[in-house]
Amino acid sequence: MSLRTIFIIARKELRDALRNRWFLLYTAAFSILALAMSYLSLAGSGMQGLAGFGRTTAGLVNLVILLVPLMGLSIAAPSLAGEQERGTLAYLLAQPITRFEALIGKYLGLSASLTAALAIGFGICGLSIAANGDAAGVGVYLTLVAMTFALGLAMLSVGMLISTLTRKAAQAIGMAIVVWLCLTLLSDLALMGSALAFKLRIQELFSLALVNPLQVFKMAVLHSMNAGLDVLGPAGIYANQTYGPWLSLLFVGSILAWIVVPLVLAALTFSRKPIA
Amino acid sequence: MAVGAFVAAALAVASPAFAEPFNLQAAIDSAQPGAVIHVPAGTYHGTILISQPVELVAEPGVVIEGGGQGDVVRIEAADVTIRGLTIRGTGKSLDRENAGITVLAPRVLIEDNVFEDVLFGVYLKKAPGSIIRGNRIGGKDLPVPRRGDGIRLWYSPGSVIEHNTVRNSRDVVIWFSHNVTLRDNTVTDGRYGLHFMYCDDTVLIGNHLEGNSVGAFLMYSRRLVIEGNRFLRNRGPSGYGVGLKEIDGVQAQDNLFAGNRVGIYFDNSPASVDVTQLFTNNAVAYNDIGLAFMPSVKRNIFIDNNFLENVEQVAVLGSGQLKGNQFTVDGRGNFWSDYTGFDLTADGIGDTSYLARSLFENLMDREPKLRLFLFSPVQQAVELAAKAVPTFRPPTKITDTAPRMTAVSIPTEVGDAAPGWPTAITALGLLLSATALLMCGMTGTLTRPSSAVELTPVRDKKNTDPADHPAKPLLVASDITKRFGRLTAVKKLNLDLHPGEAVALWGRNGAGKTTAIRCMLGLVRCKGSVALSGFDIRRRPKDAKRCVGYVPQELAFYDDWRATELLSFFAKIKRVGGGRVSAVFAEVGLTEHATKRVGELSGGMKQRLALAAALLADPPILMLDELTANLDAAARDSFLKLLCDQRDRGKAILFTSHRLREVEALADRVLVMERGEVVTTCGPRQLAQAIGLRTGLRLWIDPDRLDDAVKQLQLDGFEADRNGQTVHVKVRPDEKGKPLAALASAGIGVRDFEVDSSDANSPAQRPGPGGTR
Repeated sequence: MSLRTIFIIARKELRDALRNRWFLLYTAAFSILALAMSYLSLAGSGMQGLAGFGRTTAGLVNLVILLVPLMGLSIAAPSLAGEQERGTLAYLLAQPITRFEALIGKYLGLSASLTAALAIGFGICGLSIAANGDAAGVGVYLTLVAMTFALGLAMLSVGMLISTLTRKAAQAIGMAIVVWLCLTLLSDLALMGSALAFKLRIQELFSLALVNPLQVFKMAVLHSMNAGLDVLGPAGIYANQTYGPWLSLLFVGSILAWIVVPLVLAALTFSRKPIA
Repeated sequence: MAVGAFVAAALAVASPAFAEPFNLQAAIDSAQPGAVIHVPAGTYHGTILISQPVELVAEPGVVIEGGGQGDVVRIEAADVTIRGLTIRGTGKSLDRENAGITVLAPRVLIEDNVFEDVLFGVYLKKAPGSIIRGNRIGGKDLPVPRRGDGIRLWYSPGSVIEHNTVRNSRDVVIWFSHNVTLRDNTVTDGRYGLHFMYCDDTVLIGNHLEGNSVGAFLMYSRRLVIEGNRFLRNRGPSGYGVGLKEIDGVQAQDNLFAGNRVGIYFDNSPASVDVTQLFTNNAVAYNDIGLAFMPSVKRNIFIDNNFLENVEQVAVLGSGQLKGNQFTVDGRGNFWSDYTGFDLTADGIGDTSYLARSLFENLMDREPKLRLFLFSPVQQAVELAAKAVPTFRPPTKITDTAPRMTAVSIPTEVGDAAPGWPTAITALGLLLSATALLMCGMTGTLTRPSSAVELTPVRDKKNTDPADHPAKPLLVASDITKRFGRLTAVKKLNLDLHPGEAVALWGRNGAGKTTAIRCMLGLVRCKGSVALSGFDIRRRPKDAKRCVGYVPQELAFYDDWRATELLSFFAKIKRVGGGRVSAVFAEVGLTEHATKRVGELSGGMKQRLALAAALLADPPILMLDELTANLDAAARDSFLKLLCDQRDRGKAILFTSHRLREVEALADRVLVMERGEVVTTCGPRQLAQAIGLRTGLRLWIDPDRLDDAVKQLQLDGFEADRNGQTVHVKVRPDEKGKPLAALASAGIGVRDFEVDSSDANSPAQRPGPGGTR
């Protein structure tokens, strides 16, 4: 494995991303929405020195939960599949480069472009927050940014896995949207349903929620804002009491697993994939 | 009294250093009622018992140490005053209620003392009319259930508790004590900031209850005034800012309830049917639930309050509908931060009512564990479903028919906003990093070939010169077999490719040529082994591929790149210096097109660009898949010439083709493939024969000798028949003269002939598999 080669591929990927329309579109959409959210959040608070997690602050988390997975999945899923469809992947892999280098290089390039897009959005809304005096403090802001980056990376990982499982860009995008729907809505609906239907105990409910990276992201941000999860009711109180100071670690670990595991699976799949 | 004071003063003056130590207990015991005892600095040991109505005034530095046993001070006489002491170290017995100061008599004044490490702080038992003022009380560092109460009043009506600070205790408890005034106290980090039972006509003003399990829990009392207090971040399991249970007649105004689990909790309050409670000018903000009602609660009136950003503004706990509470009186309502209505009439009152109605909130109220899904997209999905499907629509919890458009001005600032600059700097940092990343992607060495890496020639001169080592092959493929499901695409292919040698894989579409090449490049996994310049393609893929320049069948490049960018990119991957880019452009004759975008190049130019890319690292092996597929005749010739030059310079070339002319021009050997198998190996000249290829000739002969000609040709072993006024004969491509000669020797003149162009030299037109020899 050569870092140099990985860097070359990453750079190419970043460059391609920037020439692509999605980058502009996603950056603009994310920035505008984040700005609107932070404005609304400030307009609603009206009281100084109150650092609370209000309805509209929650909007920013919600926005991230909806938009960032969509961005990550839809960027990464077609990356390998699309190149395979066009034939450029076969040509690239005929060069002195291993598949692992190609995969990691692409992943890093996409990570850089996604992170840049998110950083622009957060940068703009951060300035707007700062201009009005940051009630929540820079720590919360940093946690939100860092966890969003991590979530983005995790979704890129899942996207790469989708990409190695498909051969065509359209197929990959389709699968990405299905996965996005599952993560954002269907899994939660199913979990909610089974919580009611099977009378899930709160520890089971919490453990199951830990499996969904979007829930983990949400809980991690809430945790940093409120110094606890009790806002999430009994399950949150259970988490506070059971894991206490380890909770942050649990969240970071879960998100890291969502970054690493799909990527490893993608590498395994990709190493065996016939490239036509 | 004056005498007593004099004695005390004398004692105090006499006590330091040389005199006998000051005996506090003795001084108290011997003092006259009403005496003022000035206690000199020093540490005294408890329990100090005060059974005289005296006034203890401590000099700075007076400590009464309980030594971890029992009470520190017990007051059994009325009208005692204790001022300025530090009281420390009670016992830990909850049963005996060990306290810093236990008061068992009325009208006591306890002022400006400091309590440290006490189980209970000040305990008034049947001490009506007492005053506890300006004390600082710090509890023991114990788990909350084992702590005592910072301040406890028991049957002590008419007492005043003001300006005290209580921290780390269990509760501040006021039981069975009417007419108590609590003013400007601060209680933090305890269980119940305040706990009331049976305390009618009590007043709470300006208290600050923060970080307790519950701010204030008020029970079984009547006519309470709650004014200007702050209930902040009380987040224990129930976590009420204020809990009201069976309270009759609260008047609450100018309070702030913020960041609690529940701002205000109502349980059967007011309890009596003739009592109405009024809440005005309060701010209920950032709580998980703003107002929580048990379903049966009635007769509460809320006007001119601010309900800001509570996750759930109003909750009804349990089943049942909330009725009989008013949020609008005489056109005055409250401010709701989630109100989405409008005010066309510009009177400051929203034109539509504020309704607290949410299906998800209803679900949460009924199944609290569903709060886990707060702030998830599923929450909005549920609300959307409720809006879309009327049967899902939940009942309205409360209605405010005159919601305010602007918040009420309430003097409840919690503190200054944190400075914005750290966030601003972080945000700027993010923007700068993003810009740097983007610059890195936009510009840089992709368009400007790097000269840092020098050409590392992979070609080993000794190897590539066929004269030196004719026996050592550059490419060795042994028993390559590739199956796709039941289809065998390549079966046991063996191939040695030597320097300076060009080998063609010949076969019709689907014969397995391209798959064979892909196996050799490691693009598909196969059985058998492939070594390129001695490197196994599977074990050392990078080294192996470094020895190959590959030109694919379908030229799939990044079309929006410029040709020179493309080559620079591949030069970097192959670790070749930038100088090679212009060299290979010149070599393939593309120098003047170098700055064009790849998409703008013609097929021939793309093909040459692909060759240029393949030649970048000057590899000993070239692999070309259908090398002239995209070219017209002229381009084909010049391209073939380029390849011949490469071969003559010692490169080993493996290519697939189904054009006879290409094979004849370039190949030294031909492997004829059919259904994945090599059926024949031959020289290029023998190919046509080997595959039974026939060229059709059309001969024009005198019409009366047509049949003779056909007969004669068939006699000489040709495949001939009559076709209208011409004779059609099939011959091997290298024997087109033979039928003419045969007819001439038979005396049949041929007027004219042409090669039948419809009979191309592709294997697709071959007679069939049986024709292969």
